[in-house]
Amino acid sequence: MPKIAIDPITRIEGHLRIEAQVEGGRVAEAWSSSTMFRGMELVLKGRDPRDAWLFAQRI
Amino acid sequence: MWGDLNGSIIPRRARPKGWEGRSATRWAERGVSRRSFLRFCGAMTATLALPDRYLPRIAEALEAVKRPALVWLEFQDCAGCTESFLRASRPSVGDIALDILSVNYHETIMAPSGKAAEKSLMDTVRNEKGKYLVVVEGSIPTKDGGIYCTIGGRTALDIAKEVCGNAAATITVGACAFYGGWPAAKPNPTGAVGVQEAMPGITLINLPGCPPNAVNITATVVHFLTFGALPPTDQQGRPLFAYGERIHDRCERRAHFDAGQFVEEWGDEAHRKGWCLYKMGCKGPATFHNCPVVRWNDGTSWPVGAGHGCIGCSERHFWDEMTPFYRRLPTLPGVGVQTTADKIGAWIVGGTAAAFAAHGVASAIRAKARPLDENSETNEEDR
Repeated sequence: MPKIAIDPITRIEGHLRIEAQVEGGRVAEAWSSSTMFRGMELVLKGRDPRDAWLFAQRI
Repeated sequence: MWGDLNGSIIPRRARPKGWEGRSATRWAERGVSRRSFLRFCGAMTATLALPDRYLPRIAEALEAVKRPALVWLEFQDCAGCTESFLRASRPSVGDIALDILSVNYHETIMAPSGKAAEKSLMDTVRNEKGKYLVVVEGSIPTKDGGIYCTIGGRTALDIAKEVCGNAAATITVGACAFYGGWPAAKPNPTGAVGVQEAMPGITLINLPGCPPNAVNITATVVHFLTFGALPPTDQQGRPLFAYGERIHDRCERRAHFDAGQFVEEWGDEAHRKGWCLYKMGCKGPATFHNCPVVRWNDGTSWPVGAGHGCIGCSERHFWDEMTPFYRRLPTLPGVGVQTTADKIGAWIVGGTAAAFAAHGVASAIRAKARPLDENSETNEEDR
């Protein structure tokens, strides 16, 4: 049975990939993955807490 | 629907005025009057710091019917640059930019997804080779084979090499595409870099800022369409028309700095009066950007105008070098009105700050009766 992948998903903010296993014309199983990682939490660690909003609003 | 104008009834979709006898029907079809169009051209001439005599040349170039292809790539981004560009509300900046270009690929706004989207991108690369423009938003991860950003199964670096490598020019927007942005802030978990570092040698211009101003993005494109070349830049590839002057030198609160009138605490009388934010951590003295002149939200205001210090977002590594944001900048020895971005850059890189700035000293003397707050205690040791 065919497995389809839609990547990129557009008209959203961020990067998303959807894969779907199709069986008998129906989606039997599906997987989503966010295909971008930056590590906001690691960057924020140890910084002046007053700066956190400036980083976090740029997620 | 019928509109009312001075009591007379006119059809809402009346052909806008001023285009009689001209070929630029595209603008007329979009409902842009010749007057609005020329006002836009005038604003672009002013933003580019060109003499008025260039206005007709810009107008002529924009009236031409060819619409160069543009693809907008998003890598490790937050789409904030896109928002900044698209949410310019006047029917001038964002709209007109989209009118003068054929935007063939932009993940956030395009209709196709998946393979159809990738086809739009690759068709442009193939069919418009050497002629199209690329805008890059977001940093490029280099660690672990670049797996921290993939689109359609390809890494950001792989896509950038093909798309930017075959373009007429690449325009980086935002801090991330400039040098890596916050993803590159310590400890830079994904090895994020800017486009210039990822692909040295390509034709590129940097429009940093977090986000950059739509006016500057549009003016850069307008310059390219009018003169067939990117505008002149500083050593960091930033156009001088937008990054040639310090925030501090154009700041509406500069007179208060010169008079030693500083905000000492959020909400104090000085803050309410709109005095200088230097002691509250304003990075205007070390930042090159035209925010005080072009402002934001259609010229409504800008951070310092709204009572918050500049965070230095158009400077390289500002997430590390300008933080903590609420700590006063250490000294700026020799910084005068004529200081250029390249000199300041040398200062930041050299880290030679050694003494309090003359103004800081003057203010400390004036304010000797007041205890120094934590923001005033900053010293050069951190550099």
